[in-house]
Amino acid sequence: MRARIVVALAAALIGMPAAAESQEAETLRRELEQMRQRLETVTREYQQAIETLSERLRRLEAAPGPPAAPPPAAQRPPEAAPPGPSAMDLARPRQPFSLYERRGPGQLLFDLGVVGDFVGNLTQRSVERADAGTFAGRENRVFPREIELVLFGQIDPYARGEVRIEAAEEFEGGERELHVGLAEANLTLLTLPWGTQAKLGLMRNRFGLLNERHREALPQIDQPAVLTRFLGEEGLREAGLEATWLPPLPFYLEILGGVFDGDNEESFGRGSLRDPLLTGRVRTFWELGTTSAVQLGASVASGENEDGRRTTLVGADVKYKLTPEGWPHSLLTLAGEALYSGRRVEIEDEATGIPSSVRRDRHGWYAYAEIQPWRRWLFGARYDWTQFPVDAGREWAVEPYVAFMPSEFLRFRLAYKHTERTHGITGEEGRGSGRIIDELLLQATFFLGAHPAHPF
Amino acid sequence: MTRRSLGALLAAVLLGSALTTAGEAAARLRVVATIPDLAALTEAVGGDRVTVDVLARAGQNPHDLEIRPSLMVKLRRADALVVNGLDLDQWADAVIRGASNAGVVPGAPGHIDASRGVPVLDVPAGRVDRSMGDVHPRGNPHYTLDPGLAAVVTQNILEGLARVAPAERPVFERQRQAFLERLDGAMPGWQARLAPVRDARIVVYHNNFVYFLRRFGLTQVGTIEDRPGIPPSPAHLARLIGTLRDGRRPLLVVAEPWNDQRLAARLAEEAGGRLVVLNPKPGASRGGDAYLAAVEANVEALARAMRRDPS
Repeated sequence: MRARIVVALAAALIGMPAAAESQEAETLRRELEQMRQRLETVTREYQQAIETLSERLRRLEAAPGPPAAPPPAAQRPPEAAPPGPSAMDLARPRQPFSLYERRGPGQLLFDLGVVGDFVGNLTQRSVERADAGTFAGRENRVFPREIELVLFGQIDPYARGEVRIEAAEEFEGGERELHVGLAEANLTLLTLPWGTQAKLGLMRNRFGLLNERHREALPQIDQPAVLTRFLGEEGLREAGLEATWLPPLPFYLEILGGVFDGDNEESFGRGSLRDPLLTGRVRTFWELGTTSAVQLGASVASGENEDGRRTTLVGADVKYKLTPEGWPHSLLTLAGEALYSGRRVEIEDEATGIPSSVRRDRHGWYAYAEIQPWRRWLFGARYDWTQFPVDAGREWAVEPYVAFMPSEFLRFRLAYKHTERTHGITGEEGRGSGRIIDELLLQATFFLGAHPAHPF
Repeated sequence: MTRRSLGALLAAVLLGSALTTAGEAAARLRVVATIPDLAALTEAVGGDRVTVDVLARAGQNPHDLEIRPSLMVKLRRADALVVNGLDLDQWADAVIRGASNAGVVPGAPGHIDASRGVPVLDVPAGRVDRSMGDVHPRGNPHYTLDPGLAAVVTQNILEGLARVAPAERPVFERQRQAFLERLDGAMPGWQARLAPVRDARIVVYHNNFVYFLRRFGLTQVGTIEDRPGIPPSPAHLARLIGTLRDGRRPLLVVAEPWNDQRLAARLAEEAGGRLVVLNPKPGASRGGDAYLAAVEANVEALARAMRRDPS
């Protein structure tokens, strides 16, 4: 009997914590259920209150008779914008920072973003000695190619402004130097009549397919060789005026004309509005069903160099995209651009030494294909072929690449590039060789904050 | 063809185009909406006094629209543009800039912000940065999915259309009232059919349906996306499935047509729930009825999933 009592006592002692835990869990479950029911009740009460108020509002709006008082300002869109300011309005002094005083905490009246673009390459030692790689003078290095502060937004109801300040690393004579400069600063007049717009200031010219794009927004790590040869590493970036017209047609046709200083040192360089750089572009776009689209463009730029000799560049470009129904990105992109350059240069007769002006006709092109089967991964390849703008010779390159994009704001790229030139490039004192080049290119790009979109 | 005849042909095309434009303008207002549900609500207000075009098609995710020049053609000759106003259609800014149409730029009478006066949900209270994903700093922009807010949205559209065509205001008001009466007629039926769904726990792929769920008293318990716009990590999915398995209430997993359906179906299967694909945008049909039909389709899909009827 005693033994039974001991066993029962032991069983009770062992079972008690388990029973207590089970009871506690049940209590918690009940409390949770009660809280859930209370939450649902409150939600329903709020829902009913909102519906009652909405119904009252609707009845008041629907009531016939004298016109109802205007709804509260928060629920009513603004009245029609008044006509444009009069001459007196414009002449009247005003406080430029009155809007700033009225804004709420943390609110900016424009968008602000930072773009960081880091690149690097690995190549042969002989190419490094000749400074003949894709990033000349920065072979076998990782460096910040472009750190850009972007400010953009609406200036007033009539105009929009954009300012880009960039910092880049230069590596000269073993010394690292940081250069900070103004990349772009311009305003666009948005409300001109007859489908026209005007853009004034310092800008990347809308010439060809890729010149308008900043380097971090290029489809590959580096820009195509033909653009570097004819427009320089920085591309065509000029100060002046650009006007566009969209005729009222049932299809897209953009006609553009521009007048610029002509500071580009590769092809122009006169730098004076007395002999300006004139640009033009025509662009059209066609949807091919619901999944495909093609864009065609033609561009021209004509200006003088420092010695007053004229250079004319003519370009043609095409871009095709296939985006299957419901895809958030394109599956296939095919694009290409060809450039012709006609420039007058001065040469000396070898026999007599007498200088004379002759015309150099040169051309080049590139084409690339990209496939993006998944949102985060993109694969592509580009082929370059170009003559040198003045000297004899040509080069070609092939560059397969892969891109990984963890999000819209972060991107990594890896590429292999093989380049062959008919004439080798040598460095100081004839060092190195830049005729056949193999390079591994790397890129990491991030976007902090806002960033203007790049159409198509 | 000579240069002169080419010039004459171009002039004829331009003149013809201008005359056609003038003729059409006299008949109807040309309105462009950025997303299909705003287009449907604009047609509900404008009726046969407007022709409505839309920039994002029904099957496209409005968060990630590619800016094509063809969108600028649509906007080039528009009298008015209806925008979401809470950054769902931020790409519209680039389309506006490319369209060279002074009548629809921000601040112009034809620029209609449909969000004014909407009680916005999910407005971040503290610091916002991109570690939180593709968060909307001004609040959740998917307010058009709540049929109860159609009164506010259509009021904004009415005011905008009346700014562009003041003489048509009585017609727009009459058409808006007629639409709202049809919507009021349908609302009790939707409430009744969704009453059983109030017992369910709802997991959404992206946080799109918060206004719709709140309107009908439904309970959202999680999102498949780890953070807005960021694909879910395996750890997040495992955690979510673990949390959902313990529940005793029914589980519905809600996805949209452009979400990863296989992932959503797998989650539903592993957590013991049921996948429901809702379309957040009116589809092929147009007008106010299209908006009502879209709400009806979503209500029916949820109610059917709750009844466990085959879809």
